[in-house]
Parts: sequence; C-alpha cells; structure tokens
Amino acid sequence: MSLRQLRETPVPEGAEERAWEVARAAYEARDPAPARRRSPLRPALALAAAVAAAGVLASPPGWSLIHSIRVAVGVKEAQTELFSLPAPGRLLVVSQRGLWVVQRDGSRRLLGGYRDAAWSPHGLYLAATRPDEVVALDPKGQVRWTLPRPGARFPSWTGSFTDTRIAYVAAGRLHVVAGDGTGDHALGPAATVAPAWRPGGGRVLAYATPRGLAVYDADRAAVLWSARGRPVRLEWSSDGARLLARGPVGLQVFDARGRVVAEDDPSDATHDADAAFVPGTHRVAVIRVHGAQSDLFDLATGRTLFRGTGAFGQVVAAPDGRWLLVTWPTADQWVFVRAAGAPRIRAVAGIIRQLGPGVRVAGWCC
Amino acid sequence: MASRSRDERAAVQGAQRGSLPDFESLFRLHWAPAYRAAYLVVRDAAAAEDIAQEAFLAAVRALDRFDRRRPFGPWLHRIVVNRAIDWARRRELRREVGGDALTAEPAPPETSPDRGLVDALAGLTADHRAVIVLRYLLEYTPGEIAELLDLPRGTVNSRLRRALDQLKGRVE
Repeated sequence: MSLRQLRETPVPEGAEERAWEVARAAYEARDPAPARRRSPLRPALALAAAVAAAGVLASPPGWSLIHSIRVAVGVKEAQTELFSLPAPGRLLVVSQRGLWVVQRDGSRRLLGGYRDAAWSPHGLYLAATRPDEVVALDPKGQVRWTLPRPGARFPSWTGSFTDTRIAYVAAGRLHVVAGDGTGDHALGPAATVAPAWRPGGGRVLAYATPRGLAVYDADRAAVLWSARGRPVRLEWSSDGARLLARGPVGLQVFDARGRVVAEDDPSDATHDADAAFVPGTHRVAVIRVHGAQSDLFDLATGRTLFRGTGAFGQVVAAPDGRWLLVTWPTADQWVFVRAAGAPRIRAVAGIIRQLGPGVRVAGWCC
Repeated sequence: MASRSRDERAAVQGAQRGSLPDFESLFRLHWAPAYRAAYLVVRDAAAAEDIAQEAFLAAVRALDRFDRRRPFGPWLHRIVVNRAIDWARRRELRREVGGDALTAEPAPPETSPDRGLVDALAGLTADHRAVIVLRYLLEYTPGEIAELLDLPRGTVNSRLRRALDQLKGRVE
C-alpha cells in the first residue's frame, strides 16, 4: 500500500479553470490595500498600481456553486435573457467588451471600449474614460469631445440642462471640467475613487482624499467638511442630505454636516461588499459577504432582502427606488429585488454571455 | 525547496501589490493540491470544488493582511482541511437513512489511485482522513500538522497511527 498514490487523485475536467475564473474575479474586484509611503515618488506609483488593480467583477460560474445557489434560493427559473428592466430608466454597464447602454425593453447598444462611465444629470449624454482620455458622448455612441488626461478614471456629472460640470480623477488629482469640455482644472490630491456630486442646488462634491474623504463646494472653492477613513465608494441620498461612504470592510452614513448618523462595522469574518441608497429615502441597502454566503439587507432594520450562496458584487437602485439590482458574479446572474411593497425577485442568467466578462453596472438613470 | 519558498513569497508580495500574474501563480501552484485534499476528506467532487474555491476567496479577502514572511501553502491548507472536516462532520450528522447510497461514487478514471486505497480511506473518520491527507498528500510533518489543526502533537501521532493501522487492515 503506497499512500503516495493519493497525489494522483484525479481532478474533474475544467474544475481548475472554473475555480480560477471565480478567484480571478474576486481578486480583481478586491479593494487594494493602501500603499506605504516611502518616498515622494511613491504616491504616484501607488496610484498607478491602484488603477491597475481596480478591476471589475468578472466570473464565469463555478458550477458546483451554481448548483447549490439554484437549489438554495429558488432562482432556477431565472430568465435566460435580459428581456426587460423591471423599472423605468436605462442601465449603463461596463464590461471587458466595452460600454453598454441597456434600455428598459432589454435592447442594448455597445458604445465602445470605455472603462468607466456616468450619465449626465438628465441622461442626455455620457461621460466616459478610456486609458488617458475623458470622453463625452451621446447614448448612441457619438463622441462630442475628448480630453486627454493621464490615467483618467471615474467621471461624475452634475448640473442643469444648461450648465454642467464633470468631476474625475487623473494621476492622483481630482479634476473638474465643464460639460462642454472646457475649463479643466485640478483641485487637489485624490484617491482613485469615483467622486460624487451632491444632488440638488449648488456644486458640492464628495471625493476620496489620500487620507479620507472631503466634501468640497466648487462654487466657493472651500472644503465644507472632511472625515478620516478609506472610502472606496461614495454616494449621496437623492435629497443630498446624507452621504454614504463605503470602506473596504464597513460603511458610514454622514449627515450634511459630516456627523456619522449610521454605520456598519462587520466582524473580521465578513465584509460589506457594496451598499446603495434607495432613491427617495434614506434607506441603505447593504451587501454583506460572509464565508460562502452573501446577504442583501436593510441597514436600518437589519431585514434581509435577499440571500444567496457565493459572492454578490454590486447593489444598484432603480431611479424610482422600487427595485434593487444585485449582481451575482458567482452565479453569472443579475437579481432584481423589489425594495418597496411585497417581496419579489426577478433573476436573469447568462450575464457574461450577454454583456461580456467583467460586468460592472455604472449607473441606472432616467 | 528554498527557491520555491522564495518564489512563493515573491508571488504573495506581488499579489498584495495588485499583480494578477502573481496571484495566478499562487493559484496554479496550490489549487490542485487543495482540491485533492478536500476531495479525499469529503469524498464529494462538487463539495471539494466549493471548499477549494472558498479557500481561495478567503485568501483574496485576507491577502492585504497576510504576513508575507509566512508560507502561503500551510495557511491555505489549514482553511481547506478544516472546512473539509466540518463539511464531512455535517454530512455525517445529516445521514439519517440510506448511508450506503450516499457514499456511492462513480468509477474513478484510470489514472486515479488504487480503488482499494480510496475505499479504505473513505472508511476512516474525517479527522483520521485529514491527518492522512496532510501527511501523505501535502507532506507535512506531524509537528506541522499539529500546528495546522491546532492539536497536540501526540494527538496527531496517535491519529496517524490508528489511521494507518485501519488502512492496512482494510487494504490487505
């Protein structure tokens, strides 16, 4: 009897590649650790590394996981195609194939090879980035203007029909440019995190600094308040009265003066993978990943809205606040969870086949 | 061996800095042994895939906090084997009726280890399977196994001895 034979235990065909796809997606979606400051040149290098590591969710499924998912959560009746969205508005989706606009009736248009994008305030235009370039285009893909900037990422658009501003991050600095592509200027050091304009009047912007977050009034050229931390996602409530700052593990909700009014600090074994305000409310929907399971829950009440095996990726709220879109990379599914009224779920499978690997929802707009 | 250890440390360091190729080299180096270890403890291919995959997802989550001076393999194997033991124990608890049917497995491919050995291994408890897998598949010393499983070394030695005795009795 030779126990060395155990090393010849066969591995199922394709298992390693299935596992690699999931592990790679998780690796690319992780929040990179902050770089240690060693020399004046280091911040720029660290930012470049962070840009390179700030990937998107991608994952052909691990079939064994999928089996348990479908048994466990009852989305085996998932639609095979994204026939329609359950709420008004259009989705902006980025994948390795490029930037997509998905209409409510399910029709979709591939606009090109952009890696980040955001709607203009009324959904008439898009701001997007390619490597070293900010681009404004219309929803049919026609480019209106371009602005070459090294390492440009994460455009965010605000304003009225006649006067708009786009904020973005490039080479470790926060920039703001007018909606017509003129007057670009750098405001100061920034982490590579999407800035967020406060809805409503004025031009107030939340952005991640190297040491935390700052809320900046662009009209008065003044920082209104700041907080320490390491935010990786910033989002305002639809009335502009609350700011959600999600970190690598937990999250905080600030009021207009920068006071923490709610927070979630998970234990070591879990983390908050994403969170979003429900429009029209101050409710926050949170994705908590713990072990091989993920929950979508309401931060205020703790009520679980949806639960599944594997890792959920993003939660994105419909403009009318009635539905939440949960991306589920390990299942290669999107799940629409009703946020108001009686619980209801709609699932769509085959997201990678339809939109490409590395799918990330960049916005759900008007 | 020392070179491999250096390579692994470099890969961990690279992966922490965001290098996908370095992370992939860690994955390629460790996934198959992790799968085999899980499979030999749980005797369920789908569960073994899940366990190996979850171990790597745990590795991704903990990557930034990982002490790069420590070897990556034992850390990963500790997760895999402990999860596999937990899974096997839970299955034992669930097995109320039809236990024989639950252990039925399709015939292994030609390249698999001797069927008698695999069947004999299946007859051990999960704890005993785990120490055999750690010793003879992953080649840890009894002292290292004791650290991995958080057990006294004497317990590991006695489990190894009993497991080997039972295996010999079943195979012969």
